[in-house]
Amino acid sequence: MDKLEQVAASAIRVRGLCKSYRVFKRPGGLWPAVRSLWHREYEEMQAVRDLSFAIEPGERVGFLGPNGAGKTTTLKMLSGLLHPSGGEILVGGYTPQLRQTAFLQQITLVMGQKQQLLWDLPPADTFELNRAVYDVPRAQYQRTLAELTELLDLSQVMKTPTRQLSLGERMKCELAAALLHLPKVLFLDEPTIGLDVSMQVTLRQFIRDYNQRYGATVLLTSHYMEDVEALCPRVLVIAKGRLRFDGELKSLVHSLRPEKRVTLRLPGPAPAGVLEKIGTVVQSSGTQAVVQVPQAELRAAMSYLLDALPVIDLTVEDPPLEEVMRELFAETDGPAAKTEGAGSP
Amino acid sequence: MSAAVAVRPRAAGVRLWVRAFPTLLRIGLAEALAYRAEMLVWMLTTTMPLVSMVLWQSAAQGTQLGPTKLGSAELTAYFLLTLVVRLSTSSWVLWLLTEDIRSGALAQRLLRPVHPLLGYVASQLASMPLRGALVLPLAIALLWNLSPHSLTHDPVQVALFVLSLPGAWLLSFLSMTFVGLLAFYIDSAAGLFYVWVGLYTIFSGYLIPLVLLPTWLGKLATWLPFQYMLEVPVRMLLGWPIAGGARDTVAGRLAALQSLGIQYLYVGVLLLAVMLLWRAGLRRYAAFGG
Amino acid sequence: MSSPMPTTLQEQVPTRLMWRYLRLLWLQVRMSLISQLQYRWNFLVLGLMQVFWLFVSAVPLWVAFSARAAAQGQSMANTELGGWGLYSSMLVLGVFSLLKAVLDGAINPSLAAVVEHIRKGTLDFVLLKPADAQFLVSTARFEPWHVLDGMASLLLIGYAAHKQGVLAVGAGPLLLAVTSCVVLFLCAILMLYSLWLLVVCAAFYVVRIDNLSYLFTAVLDFARWPRAVFKGALLVVFTYVIPLTVMTSYPVDALLQRLQLSQALWAVGGAGLLLTISRFTWRRAIRQYASASS
Repeated sequence: MDKLEQVAASAIRVRGLCKSYRVFKRPGGLWPAVRSLWHREYEEMQAVRDLSFAIEPGERVGFLGPNGAGKTTTLKMLSGLLHPSGGEILVGGYTPQLRQTAFLQQITLVMGQKQQLLWDLPPADTFELNRAVYDVPRAQYQRTLAELTELLDLSQVMKTPTRQLSLGERMKCELAAALLHLPKVLFLDEPTIGLDVSMQVTLRQFIRDYNQRYGATVLLTSHYMEDVEALCPRVLVIAKGRLRFDGELKSLVHSLRPEKRVTLRLPGPAPAGVLEKIGTVVQSSGTQAVVQVPQAELRAAMSYLLDALPVIDLTVEDPPLEEVMRELFAETDGPAAKTEGAGSP
Repeated sequence: MSAAVAVRPRAAGVRLWVRAFPTLLRIGLAEALAYRAEMLVWMLTTTMPLVSMVLWQSAAQGTQLGPTKLGSAELTAYFLLTLVVRLSTSSWVLWLLTEDIRSGALAQRLLRPVHPLLGYVASQLASMPLRGALVLPLAIALLWNLSPHSLTHDPVQVALFVLSLPGAWLLSFLSMTFVGLLAFYIDSAAGLFYVWVGLYTIFSGYLIPLVLLPTWLGKLATWLPFQYMLEVPVRMLLGWPIAGGARDTVAGRLAALQSLGIQYLYVGVLLLAVMLLWRAGLRRYAAFGG
Repeated sequence: MSSPMPTTLQEQVPTRLMWRYLRLLWLQVRMSLISQLQYRWNFLVLGLMQVFWLFVSAVPLWVAFSARAAAQGQSMANTELGGWGLYSSMLVLGVFSLLKAVLDGAINPSLAAVVEHIRKGTLDFVLLKPADAQFLVSTARFEPWHVLDGMASLLLIGYAAHKQGVLAVGAGPLLLAVTSCVVLFLCAILMLYSLWLLVVCAAFYVVRIDNLSYLFTAVLDFARWPRAVFKGALLVVFTYVIPLTVMTSYPVDALLQRLQLSQALWAVGGAGLLLTISRFTWRRAIRQYASASS
């Protein structure tokens, strides 16, 4: 494949994507349960509404959003598992829903809470099976497996039956199994869920390495802000099925909360009224105080603080991502979707 | 510090069970409704009586079998009634019990103030209305199709039949519970249960009317309790003489009454066995952990 | 927006494709075997249970014949049910039991696996693989201890065939009889597989019925008797709708060299028809799964 085809090969284009489906209403109580024997009520649920975005090959993009926002649904539609109710999708030039062999050989989906590893057998057997299914030439397979084993430190765990592995070890093998065929597009649905901190760090590092080494496109959904902060320069925020934001993470934070968080360490409690002058006090107890200061007034606030108080230590940070996100998700029909930064629609 | 407040004494032991039982039943009924599709499928899978019926109808074609001269019509009536009785009195507590023991859910049940076995009884009983609703049309269709001559006309025998149904259900429930409790001791009681079911299919009249068994097998059958789970109630309603002879006689009534007595005697024996095994098994369960 | 990429790798060449699937089949069988053989005790116990059941199921047949013989005042050897004597009926029972061994060992376990996949949401992984989903799903799990009751069935068939005098004919006719019997048995397996696949498709719509396999086996139970036992409407249903008589009685007819051409044609044609219908229904079910789930 020439360079141009390669470039087109891992681009993702989505336009006007919609997904809705019918759900049975299951009433509680005895009489409604009996009634449901002959009378079923449906409800139409809109999981995804009018989603549009474009992702270039080699990008690492995070999908953020509260539970039930439609992130996993979107990911499934991108991988061809779900048929959209409306709109267009093109992944690497293919329509996912057609599930062509060539398309399937280019993608992979890793779901944090479900696994494809065979339960009673060692992961090595699942690797072997995947090699046959994806028809990977043996030489390439050996090479890829050796690399993955080294990167993820799998040599010990590969030969142990899956059911005897810990969650972290299973997740590593799960990733390896998913990447043996060197896909160009990675869909990762909550891959670090339930893992301890060191394992999360390992996995993030690995995904970054894989992306840099093979130029694969990475789409990640996660609840852990650290995942997104560490891995994804670009985020798409989805809430209630709609795209709320598409752009750099930093811009998101700044546009929502154009403030900085100033943490002070003082020898004693701050006198009343001083902190309030520069911004909103988040916390003020004993020797520590935290104040939120608008970005624009930061310099003035800093010089005022240093003058007015016997400051021992002072740090300036962005407000925690969690808070910003919570605020964003709490909006019901909030501001219209903002589109900034990288990527063209 | 606080003034003494009059508090209704909380019920314990049997009184609590009695009070809790209706709730258990109600929940069981809601559960049964939620699983109505499974129940329908389960009922449809009870095809064995029909499979046997087809064979025996064919075997009796143009002739009459056995010492009591059973023709196609009689055999049809027998197996159809076997189907109805089986659907009404069988139980699946074995699967519930072994699964709970295996998964450790039994430990949770033990923490509740209600005896776990009572919970199983409630869930099985709660399935009865739904089963009845599914079986009733079948039973009516059968009665419609069979000639009035097939069933007994003696009201006493009909009454005895009705009384024997709970007895049959209890035998089924208790025998399954007994085998299920063996799961406290051996890893897979399933093997044992297969043997039990194998004996059941031959000696309860499920596959072959007992009267048609060769003499040595037939003699063995009379000594075993399996017949009281299926054949005995069926014969009561059919009015077939228990020990040979004419139908609908006083002797027949007495024989039926005697069978009913023996059935409930077996129920008592099984109940005792279950209680003993429960105590012993529980001690072992507590010793080795859930 | 842009034209689809050319199909890559070895998708086009048919022989290469066939080899690929054969290799996949071998891998799946091997994995199932290794998986199950870890529970060695199970292997023996369950295998013996099946053999036990085979004998239990032979008892009613034997008792029925002896009761009929006694009632008609004849010997058992001379008694028959609509043209089927004791030993030819035993042949049907043997074929049924062998078919059941194949069903329980190679076909049913995969159904349980599919229902489990649907329940746990891991069917998605199957659908993501660049191999035919129906193939992957059909070969997902095997239970090898049914080899034991398969062998017991073959013994029963051999015994009944010997008693029936099948083996007494010359080598040529015997070869023809056995070959046609085997062909019809293979048709039976294909029919059984297609019916099973239809049941699996039902599991997509009503996921909680995971005892559907029991229903399937329960209806199959009628196939243990020779077709003379079914009359009228039942015979029509069991020959043309759920072709149970085709599955067990026809192979025996072939072995006894009394198979008619119309029967053979229906067996082969019916198998092909059922395969097509089941494949079509499978694809519909997958499409439905992709549209409706979340």
